[in-house]
Amino acid sequence: MKKIEKKFISVFFALFLLILSAFPVSAADDLVRVFDYADILSDSEEEDLLNKLDEISKLQQMDVAVVTVDSLEGKSAEAYADDFYDEYGYGFGEEGDGILFLLSMREREWHISTKGYAIAVFTDAGLDYIMEKVVVDLKAGEYASAFTTFADYCDDYITQAATGKPYDIDHLPNEPFPFFLFFVVCLVIAFVIALIATWIMKGKLKSVKSRPGADDYIKDGSMKLTKKNDLFLYRHIDRREKPKENESRNSSHSGGSTTHRSSSGATHGGRGGKF
Amino acid sequence: MAEIQEYKCPCCGGAIAFDSTIQKMKCPFCDTEFEMETLAGYDSELKKEQADDMTWNTSAGRTWQDDEIDGLSVYICRSCGGEIVCDENTAATSCPFCGNPVVMMEKLSGDVKPDYVIPFQQDKKAAVAALKEHYAKKRLLPKIFKDENHIEEVKGVYVPFWLFDAQADANMRYRTTRVRTWSDSRYYYTETSHFLVSRGGNLAFEKVPADGSTKMPDDLMESIEPFDFSKMVDFQPGYLAGYMADKYDVNAQQSTQRVNERIRKSTEAAFDATVRGYATVRKETGSIQLHESRVKYALLPVWLLHTRWNNQDYLFAMNGQTGKMVGDLPLDKTAYKKWLFGLTGAIGAMLFLASYLIWML
Repeated sequence: MKKIEKKFISVFFALFLLILSAFPVSAADDLVRVFDYADILSDSEEEDLLNKLDEISKLQQMDVAVVTVDSLEGKSAEAYADDFYDEYGYGFGEEGDGILFLLSMREREWHISTKGYAIAVFTDAGLDYIMEKVVVDLKAGEYASAFTTFADYCDDYITQAATGKPYDIDHLPNEPFPFFLFFVVCLVIAFVIALIATWIMKGKLKSVKSRPGADDYIKDGSMKLTKKNDLFLYRHIDRREKPKENESRNSSHSGGSTTHRSSSGATHGGRGGKF
Repeated sequence: MAEIQEYKCPCCGGAIAFDSTIQKMKCPFCDTEFEMETLAGYDSELKKEQADDMTWNTSAGRTWQDDEIDGLSVYICRSCGGEIVCDENTAATSCPFCGNPVVMMEKLSGDVKPDYVIPFQQDKKAAVAALKEHYAKKRLLPKIFKDENHIEEVKGVYVPFWLFDAQADANMRYRTTRVRTWSDSRYYYTETSHFLVSRGGNLAFEKVPADGSTKMPDDLMESIEPFDFSKMVDFQPGYLAGYMADKYDVNAQQSTQRVNERIRKSTEAAFDATVRGYATVRKETGSIQLHESRVKYALLPVWLLHTRWNNQDYLFAMNGQTGKMVGDLPLDKTAYKKWLFGLTGAIGAMLFLASYLIWML
């Protein structure tokens, strides 16, 4: 009897430990990851987004937050995003790993601030790639959809970075395979190849052709060139202006993430722009 | 008073004048400058132009001796009008051109006797084998055509040919350009130099053949060329034994048009090839004069098979000397569609799969 009880307790304890390890205790656990100060999301959209961000953040051990404001209050978008991140206290672990997406409606500016491990996860090229997709929705006013896309990409990027090779300039996420377009293009190419192949097969049936010349009947060595005169007549010179070299070209990007320091002295990465 | 020479601008064709300030000839219309000698040379080249002369001395053949004709007879096909000469021991049962079995016999009357003959070197067995080979490895040839074909009915026919010999004098004139490009810090330069190129000379043509039978399509006979004329011998009626011979119904004069076309093409190509080192070459004029022209009448050996399939005539011919086999074959339309769409599907699927894999990698 006692033996059974002891066994039961040990099993229970092991189960408890298991549950504990699945939900690691974190400083960021009770944080709110959506602040819709600009009130551009409906209540249900806000709740859905919040659930999604909470789930990603806890699962990936990295805060993913979205903040919308009416105005930047004179600050730069970068400073506003960095300060909000630091002051509110986002971030997992010692480094404060996390990413914050700030949207300001009056300036129509967006900024993404990354910190800690997130700086490595979200490279400059990687963020540009995400925002290329997200800005389309932002411009169209589809804010909920924009944030959902953003969240999905964050999830994908963190998973990718865990393999040791974060998305960067030389390897960005795969675009979805354009089935229909490829189907049509392949079919057209195949048809052209088939047309050529059958044309060759058809050509084998035809062997009667008239001969254009009489080359076979020129007496060997009978050709004599008695007159050979190359008279120069005149020349024309055309000149074309060279195109101006584009001097304001950026040096080529070598990938990775650029960082800066926020007002509190913390190191942040990120990217910003208008929509 | 000195004779006033007026020149035309080689660039635009306008009348040209001497510009005293630059001491050169300058065209008032297009502003191109020329040296005096250039214009004089240009003018004299233009004046040298000659007209074509491609007439032939078309007397060919000899007349038959009475005793030679005795052993020969003529069959006339009532269907296509073909006249076939045989020695009297060869019984012609069907017309080799149209396959019609009805033939009438007549006595050969005084006509032009061939100068030469190339005797048959390929026998009937070789012809049958060549035809089988001709049907092989052709995926779009209807199977029924292959199976129904009576390839035993190949007939050896001496086809009348006119052989043309001549020396061709040619004078060709071209306008050519040479292009040079360079650049400095601000501009790209393209310099185009224009030339007047003249070529003259001659070359000899020997035994250019043209078939003298309306029953024989010209393109079919040209397709079995070339014949090796070094094996050609003086004509003797004895060579006809066992074979049939077609009588010419296109005379040498009528054949010259096609022969001239071929000679012109080859002559022009030969002289065109001597104009080298230019970026562009445009032929302005070219004239050909024929000399020492001579025409001979010869019988050349051809194995023929005529067949009908789906109300269409098919005529196959084999060079009786070299064994070269030609003849257009019918197309199996359903097989063609099958191959076209089958290949499209197979290649398309492969491409699609390959692109999908490359995309996902």
